[in-house]
Amino acid sequence: MSPEDTPAPRSLAEALRARDDASLAALLRSRPDLITPVPTDLTQLATRAGTRASVVRALERLDRFALQTAQALAVAADPASYEELLGLMAGDERDPAVAAALPHALGVLREQALVWGGDDRLRLVRTARELLAPSPQHPSPTGLGPTVQEATAGMSPGRIQEIVTTAGLASTHDSVSAVTALTALFGDRKRMAALLAGAPEESRQVLARLVWGPPYGQVTADPAAHLRWLLDRGLLLPTAPGTVVLPREVALHLRQGRAHREPEPLPPAVEAVKVHRPQVVDATAAGQALTALATVEELLKDWHEGGPAVLRAGGLSVRDLKRTAVALDVPEPVAAFWVELAYAAGLLASDGEADERYAATPAYDEWLTLPAQERWVRLAEAWLAATRTAGLVGGRDAKERALSALGPGLDRSAAPEVRHRVLTLLAALPEGAAPDPESVLARLQWERPQRREDDLRTRLARWTLDEAELLGVTGRGALAAHGRALLGLPAPDHTPRAEEPSGPGDKLPVHHHRRPAPAAPLSPAEQAAASAAAARLLAPLLPEPLDHVLLQADLTAVAPGPLQRPLADTLGVLADVESKGGATVYRFTPASVRRALDAGRTAADLHAFLAAHSRTPVPQPLAYLIDDVARRHGHLRVGAASAYVRCDDDALLNEILADKRSAGLRLRRLAPTVLAAQSDPATLLEGLRAMGFAPAAESAEGDVLIARPDAHRTPPRTPPEPVPDGPPMPDAALLSAAIRAIRAGDLASTTPRKPTDDTPLAPGELPRTSAAETLATMQAAVLTGEAVWIGFVNAEGAASQRVIAPVRVEGGFVTAYDHTADEVRTFPLHRITGVAELADD
Amino acid sequence: MPRVNGPLIVQSDKTLLLEVDHEQADECRRAIAPFAELERAPEHIHTYRVTPLGLWNARAAGHDAEQVVDALVQYSRYPVPHALLVDIAETMDRYGRLSLVKHPAHGLVLTSTDRPVLEEVLRSKRIAPLVGARIDPDTVVVHPSERGQIKQTLLKLGWPAEDLAGYVDGEAHPIELAEDGWALRPYQKQAVENFWHGGSGVVVLPCGAGKTLVGAGAMSQAKSTTLILVTNTVSARQWKHELVKRTSLTEDEIGEYSGTRKEIRPVTIATYQVLTTRRKGVYPHLELFDSRDWGLIVYDEVHLLPAPVFKFTADLQARRRLGLTATLVREDGRESDVFSLIGPKRFDAPWKEIEAQGYIAPADCVEVRVNLTDSERLAYATAEAEEKYRFCATTDTKRKVTEAIVRRFAGQQILVIGQYIDQLDELGEHLGAPVIKGETSNAQREKLFDAFREGEISVLVVSKVANFSIDLPEATVAIQVSGTFGSRQEEAQRLGRVLRPKADGHQAHFYSVVARDTIDQDFAAHRQRFLAEQGYAYRIMDADELLAES
Repeated sequence: MSPEDTPAPRSLAEALRARDDASLAALLRSRPDLITPVPTDLTQLATRAGTRASVVRALERLDRFALQTAQALAVAADPASYEELLGLMAGDERDPAVAAALPHALGVLREQALVWGGDDRLRLVRTARELLAPSPQHPSPTGLGPTVQEATAGMSPGRIQEIVTTAGLASTHDSVSAVTALTALFGDRKRMAALLAGAPEESRQVLARLVWGPPYGQVTADPAAHLRWLLDRGLLLPTAPGTVVLPREVALHLRQGRAHREPEPLPPAVEAVKVHRPQVVDATAAGQALTALATVEELLKDWHEGGPAVLRAGGLSVRDLKRTAVALDVPEPVAAFWVELAYAAGLLASDGEADERYAATPAYDEWLTLPAQERWVRLAEAWLAATRTAGLVGGRDAKERALSALGPGLDRSAAPEVRHRVLTLLAALPEGAAPDPESVLARLQWERPQRREDDLRTRLARWTLDEAELLGVTGRGALAAHGRALLGLPAPDHTPRAEEPSGPGDKLPVHHHRRPAPAAPLSPAEQAAASAAAARLLAPLLPEPLDHVLLQADLTAVAPGPLQRPLADTLGVLADVESKGGATVYRFTPASVRRALDAGRTAADLHAFLAAHSRTPVPQPLAYLIDDVARRHGHLRVGAASAYVRCDDDALLNEILADKRSAGLRLRRLAPTVLAAQSDPATLLEGLRAMGFAPAAESAEGDVLIARPDAHRTPPRTPPEPVPDGPPMPDAALLSAAIRAIRAGDLASTTPRKPTDDTPLAPGELPRTSAAETLATMQAAVLTGEAVWIGFVNAEGAASQRVIAPVRVEGGFVTAYDHTADEVRTFPLHRITGVAELADD
Repeated sequence: MPRVNGPLIVQSDKTLLLEVDHEQADECRRAIAPFAELERAPEHIHTYRVTPLGLWNARAAGHDAEQVVDALVQYSRYPVPHALLVDIAETMDRYGRLSLVKHPAHGLVLTSTDRPVLEEVLRSKRIAPLVGARIDPDTVVVHPSERGQIKQTLLKLGWPAEDLAGYVDGEAHPIELAEDGWALRPYQKQAVENFWHGGSGVVVLPCGAGKTLVGAGAMSQAKSTTLILVTNTVSARQWKHELVKRTSLTEDEIGEYSGTRKEIRPVTIATYQVLTTRRKGVYPHLELFDSRDWGLIVYDEVHLLPAPVFKFTADLQARRRLGLTATLVREDGRESDVFSLIGPKRFDAPWKEIEAQGYIAPADCVEVRVNLTDSERLAYATAEAEEKYRFCATTDTKRKVTEAIVRRFAGQQILVIGQYIDQLDELGEHLGAPVIKGETSNAQREKLFDAFREGEISVLVVSKVANFSIDLPEATVAIQVSGTFGSRQEEAQRLGRVLRPKADGHQAHFYSVVARDTIDQDFAAHRQRFLAEQGYAYRIMDADELLAES
């Protein structure tokens, strides 16, 4: 799409139309949201590419320099030439690094349909411009303010004329041409320098403060002389009363044309802090890989007989996670990682029963049969592709709900991509080099700038580094050979290659490493091949499973390496694990030997087993321990029976057992004189009676039970409470209180009073008078010191009658002695419904 | 893939497993010994443990984290987990941030190279009462009497202080070893050297390996007045006897400070018992510590150090301290107090190693299991919990078995050791042997021990009074019929009674008679743990088998 051979496009749609298929494919690959659903034509595609949501998404995925370029275009004229853009990015002195990187960044923006038009007429799509252009509400990262034209939009023509004249320009009568002249002056480096040369020192300081933003400042109604100097020449323009702004053109002049204080044309280098021998890295990672397998196995073994319950909201309770962490002897976040890993690999899941618990899946049993390297690859593949992130466990979601391991809300779609990117960054380092984690994070920040410091991608990257170490993808911080193979990357050849370094040494534009690798770069077939390669590399690093242990006289056995599975399983039953790691230390105790016997082993089995797997003779104390435990094992027998038959005469019991009719009773002879039955005593009695015997029932103490006709009984019940006619008899305290209340009420209602009007009040009816009358009567009562009768509504709305002797009336309140309550109280006047004088007698 | 097949396996719980039959085993042992504690030494795989205390002691002895990491990485069979290496480096880095030094103007001060650490510890409630004024942001005054206390507390807080305040020389007194016709054994020399180089500390040697001589060696280095603390009077006399024989000291230069005699001489031997005698709430004899300007204090059987002496030892940090023991296991778990107050372990030799060098006799350890009779079983089942041990430990069957063993070893010097006086009296009666117990006078005890040494008596029945420090070189058979519950160190000490090398180099026998299926058996298992971990394999026999043989 070179603008020379086709006429300049007039719209984005036209620009797209002019693009070839490969270029359109690149657009759709980088902005897949544009084809869901597939647009009907290019016009629709252009429209969709200009929608706010899609543009926001595209801008979020730009690297820092491309974003800076877009920001610069947003503050440039529309359209802008490449020269203008270069000036904004590289400054007047044309920073060569920026100048070298700019064509590529512009290419990215064009490819993504954020910019269209030829180099002479570059246009940022309107939505992007709106999003990136500075406004008082959304200051731009460039720190630039509005243009002269925008800032003078509401200014009176007279004021503009004044400014133009003071700035030393010829006066025109037309505001538009005046603004144009002013803009031209500010854009002209030489004339501007001359103008500023005459500025007072303080004025220059003010400009220096505003130049890199924010461009807004406060002024008083009567600005000081140095501010007035700036204001008079339009170097500061008022935006609102008391607020001034540095116009964009002035700021750019002061910045030598730069839109950004620090353009970052090159990705920050991922720095190696330590370089280990690759063999050490691989061996450490392999050791950790083995630990990973052992840990997952231990976790699921721990949950073998019913894992923890599933919370109602899904997930593992905090307590269960703690318990698991203790069992695995790791911190809780690490325990959460192992649990999530096993889940992601399909090795554990909820059992879906009514009483839901977590348990190993059938896939786990299959997994166990695989060779160690295959097992590891299964875990590592699952980890790479998982969107679930264990690092979030223990935190809270947007709704302040706790995030639990295995629970909902842990999926983060960016996780696989970040993991992949972090690992490919490690892969770009020389073999055995462990990076400074901060430099990895800085690189990711550059590739995908995020608004906040502690953003999700940075956290994901941190977790990735930690988890890769736990899983054994890395060793001592450096990517191991099998980790590299897992990513489908070729093993690095050992000659240093100049063309593939990372960081500022890069000679741009190298397209493929400037863009974050896509989330799933490997097809299933490729991944399978990569995994197989990883397994091949890992296999020789893993220790060969052993078929023997060292038995010692202190009743311990040491397996100096991983054991073959059947051996490990049997030993795990026969002895307690005391210490884990490269080797396993087992301790034999009477309890552990008993456990083995309970599991169906015999003493002879155990002796043979130990002799077979020990290279030295079995120590005498161990052999003795097994015999000693076996001697007592099963000496006592326990079983369940529902009833028994006992009889001193064995012959009679023989007879019963021989009788075919006794088959239904399921009798078994325990001793010559005792039979145990699986049927309940009543059935047994009936059965024996039916066979013609005369059995008697025995109580638990062995007494003969006297049979009586059965009587049906309810469970314990309380007799009904009597329902009395009236309320219960009150006690003395209640009575006296009641009487006082009655008397007080009585006083209020029966005290003779003067009729307020012609219609006497019915008994119990509240007196009603107007507010003025109430006030007057009260004031009179204060003077005379007489008691009055009032109606009063309290704050709850309950009405009552009271006899009070007012003491004071002020501020809408009556302070009075309340005869009814026998105390001095304050009544709000507005709550008094009315007042009546008491009768004189 | 070439893999170094090293002798060491580093476990995730920070234990190190050393395969002793490996060709590099000795080399590896020397490399890890400075920072790892030997925990168990059975026949094939020795277990070492890496603890913060051990790492800090290594730092104090001048080793740095890199050496430790190198030793692990070099000898490890499998890759060492990175996290463990990081943890080791971090732990070792904590040592030396704080140090105790002598300030020319303010006396003892605590200074720091890392101000936040000093701030952190000063904020601790336990440190506050031990320090005085802050001289400058990095220095704070410490009350001289709290030197031990503050070291102990800082250790618990995880910021061990390096003690650079030095020692007082004490009152000089000439002491030389009189190596006429004998010499310190190599390991004894090594122990003395390690101790002297470290300043203070504990030397762990098996019973019978000549700890007294290590003490004498230390004294000849210090050449100053010395206070020796021992467990009882008999032991005090033996120390005196040995010192007179092995050093330039004469009888008059050595004082005994015990219940009966209160002599204070340039070298004074005191018993723990007299020091901890309490009258009206005070310990009148603790002033012994201040009665002279001691240059060296020797704690014999340091694992028995009683609590009041602990407390007083905290105040003696300016004097050199030497702890001697065979079994640094305390059932009260106060081993770490011993380390922080007396000093770190300066020398430790596995029992089997000393045995291999021929300095202690090889021993055949046998546990004989006896059955309770039916009526005893019933009585045992119904006995009160606190009576149960006594009941099963004193079963009649044990007497028959003991008699059988004594018959079998007729002609050899036999010790019968037990806990319960009734049982011992009864045994003494049946065996026709004298009994030494708590109430036996010291004179009588010495007379009997002498007779036993001379071979006039061949069987001696002793209670726990003979657990320690009784030098009976000719005893070859010990029969233990009951003990102080599950005490591991008692078992080791009792075995120690028969480990003095025999004139004719023959084997020692240690029989422990245990009632089957009772708590006696459980206790026995616990008691044997220390020795089993030192590589002593107990054979287990049934009493019937033994009775049938004889």
